[in-house]
Amino acid sequence: MPTIARSNGDSTPQKRRLRSDAEAKDSPISTTVKWKSPRGCSSASPNSLSNGTERDFSDNPERSPVKKNFGKFISKPKWNPGDTEQMREVKEALHVSTAPSTVVCREDEQKRVLEFCKVCVEQEKAGSLYVCGCPGTGKSLSMEKLKQLLVDWAKEAGHRQPDVLPINCTSLAKTSDIFVKILGDAQQRRKVNGSATSALQHLQNLYSQNPRSSRIKMMLIIVDELDYLITKDRAVLHDLFMLTTFPFSRCILIGIANAIDLADRFLPRLQSLNCKPMVVTFRAYDKDQILKILRERLSALPYIVFQPQALELCARKVAAASGDMRRALCVCRSAIEILEAELKESSSNFNSLTVEKACFEQQTATAPDILKKQDIDVVRLDHMAIALSKTYRTPIVDTIQSLPQHQQILLCSAVKHFRGGKKDTTVGELKKSYMDICKSSLIPPVGSLELSTICRVLNDQGLLKLGQSRDDKSKRVTLRVDEADVTFALQGIRFFRNCLQ
Amino acid sequence: MGREKAAKEALNLLRGRLCDPTFVFKPLSDSPESNYSKLKFIISSSVTEACNNSILLLGPRGSGKIAVLELVLKDLFLEYPDMISVIRLSGLLHSDDNCAFKEIARQLCVEHDLLFSKMASFDDNSQFMIAMLRECGLAHKTVIFVLDEFDLFAQGKQRLLYSLLDAMQSITSQAVVIGVSCRLDADQLLEKRVRSRFSHRKLMFLPPSKEDLQRLLGHILSLPLDSTLPRDYAVEFNAKLQNMLADEKFKQTIYTYMDSDATVNHLLRFLFRAVSYMDLGSGFLALENFKTALPNIQRQPKLECITDCSILELYILVCMKRLEVKEQNSYNFNSVMTEYKSIHDTFQTSDYYARNVCLRAFEHLQQRELISFTDNRGHNQSVEFRPVKLLISSYELQKGLKSYRSCPVILLKLMDREA
Repeated sequence: MPTIARSNGDSTPQKRRLRSDAEAKDSPISTTVKWKSPRGCSSASPNSLSNGTERDFSDNPERSPVKKNFGKFISKPKWNPGDTEQMREVKEALHVSTAPSTVVCREDEQKRVLEFCKVCVEQEKAGSLYVCGCPGTGKSLSMEKLKQLLVDWAKEAGHRQPDVLPINCTSLAKTSDIFVKILGDAQQRRKVNGSATSALQHLQNLYSQNPRSSRIKMMLIIVDELDYLITKDRAVLHDLFMLTTFPFSRCILIGIANAIDLADRFLPRLQSLNCKPMVVTFRAYDKDQILKILRERLSALPYIVFQPQALELCARKVAAASGDMRRALCVCRSAIEILEAELKESSSNFNSLTVEKACFEQQTATAPDILKKQDIDVVRLDHMAIALSKTYRTPIVDTIQSLPQHQQILLCSAVKHFRGGKKDTTVGELKKSYMDICKSSLIPPVGSLELSTICRVLNDQGLLKLGQSRDDKSKRVTLRVDEADVTFALQGIRFFRNCLQ
Repeated sequence: MGREKAAKEALNLLRGRLCDPTFVFKPLSDSPESNYSKLKFIISSSVTEACNNSILLLGPRGSGKIAVLELVLKDLFLEYPDMISVIRLSGLLHSDDNCAFKEIARQLCVEHDLLFSKMASFDDNSQFMIAMLRECGLAHKTVIFVLDEFDLFAQGKQRLLYSLLDAMQSITSQAVVIGVSCRLDADQLLEKRVRSRFSHRKLMFLPPSKEDLQRLLGHILSLPLDSTLPRDYAVEFNAKLQNMLADEKFKQTIYTYMDSDATVNHLLRFLFRAVSYMDLGSGFLALENFKTALPNIQRQPKLECITDCSILELYILVCMKRLEVKEQNSYNFNSVMTEYKSIHDTFQTSDYYARNVCLRAFEHLQQRELISFTDNRGHNQSVEFRPVKLLISSYELQKGLKSYRSCPVILLKLMDREA
């Protein structure tokens, strides 16, 4: 983002050229408009709290490039996809790993969690919280921001700053290692044996004795992917949350997982102790939220990249499917790549034309000129539609259509066989129905060895499912694809149409 | 050099080519729409723009996924030396998370000349991997993870996949994850967390179209003009080859072969066979080579069994077939004998043998696995009373009888009647 490079030097390690270099040289399109982001340097740094008013500014110039609400802000020019530097910036702005400086659309949830943590820190009391939601809804991202917010608030308000310990449960070799991690290396070295039970006991002792615990700072523990801790007897999960119930406990526990009812299902005993964790649900994003987030990411760029309808289509489709923000970002990047491919193809076409025309007309047009003629400058609706269809279609229909003939016949015979309501059969039966079809249509069938190979190939591809058996003929077979898919895929061939009627 | 010597050298050259996947997949990769160019574009843009990416290569076994990937990697090593390092994992060997992390750590150590300790724990290995990714990111080096048999990594808790894909969500690492699988629904096997982090990019490796097939055959089988082979021989060879490729009968043979399995690997096996039948005297490939290779590679063992049977054994098989057609669900040797007698009575055949001879023939058939007993126990019962069934289909039996050298006409008539 242009402003970060100029404002502070302690941003994320610049492994690419500084944007200031790019700004210094005038790119041909944007030179006329030295567009400064309305969000000043302060809001671009990740340390400050999000400021509501400034966001509105960034929204409007994109939403209404024609209607000018603010006379000062000129509508942004379109970008030049041929410029590699701009392409790189855009892709980076839309990459999942680029954390935005402000977390949009999650203000309520963040406020609730922050309030909870503030109360805990003020009263030096322990507490537990459970954050749940579908993947891609901004849980881990919000917790990242929360850490810094809490520490800053504590410094400002004069309380003791809490320690922060983020743990991702997938990195634990054993579930009980989490207690070792909470205890920390310093404490553990004093104990001779590092076994986990002693770590848990040590923690429990620590939290039940007043004099020792008051010297320790509050600890904010953020446990990501909590469901990896679920064991058969649920002991670890229980013990973890019970740590917060000890009289002199010093930990604020925030657990993150996908299941909404994890607290109810796996921690019933806590309810009787009246210390069930507070549940904050991160709902899946809806269309407006996705649109807002995408616009916010693109607002830092000084040019328009997407047609507004394209962004809206993307937001609508992704919200209807899963509400997963990562998916939306992926689709946008995919649309940009389609644009890039189109650009490359048209420039190579033009180059071949130029070579022919050069002897006649002695003129050489360069790439930006072509762009003006052919208007490949913003990502349009059709690019976005192609990107969406690539994401959300299954390759099943294409694969069935590209199978060789005998494999298709076998698949058809399986569909016909399973139509009567049976759900599985043996390979021998399947071969028999295949032979019947071949006989009735006078196609020479393949030998039985080939048939077994075909069954195995279809099993490998995930179209059939073969069971285990010593004898090849008695292996159980089920169909893995939908009958409707097979019918749809093969409807273009008359033979299969008749066969499947 | 003599014609035969040139022919031998040409044969060796062709056979060497057919065993080399990088040579075979070159012509399919030249068009801009091919999987090769798409894959190369994605990986090279990740390398140059320093962003993370993940992609799945899907297709039936033998369609060239790994071959095309190796081609792309080879070209990228030439284009960007020192900016890429490749880590290869296989789902068959490393599906266990501990093994996988150890292997990743080992390969990273080998790549960067560090000491690898076998005693490192799972925790150490995963920390090491994350640290190395960060270091490589700072040094502008992209790490490419190739996960072969990707669907096998999706069993169990999918910790490796989660860690890899999660590491790629951070801005400090620069990695590309390429999954190769033959299951079309490989991405449906992923847990929803992992699937959310995995970009949906899939490249399908479909069987080649008819034009691509022609081009491929021409590319593989044409002799180079500027090698040690005599030039006029090579030119004549190529001309004859082009004529043969345009011949309808040749195309028919190839399409019949590809009707059961259309992958490139399958075709290469057939070509190897056919090329080995090349006549060294004339030194040219002919249509007959391909026509002889076809039945030799598409063998039907049961048919070959039937051609080795004696007449009496054929009679027994036909009797069993007739019993089956009469819808007798279970029959044994005695019922077969009754049927045999009735045929003899109706048609007055000359091949009527005594019971013990028939029993011997019956046992021969059972040993050769053309028939088998349907009950698994019952070794106390004598052979004559145990229920039996046929292990070959009526189509195969009919074909076998037709190709039998001196099949009695009566048997053919009986089989035709059943069909």
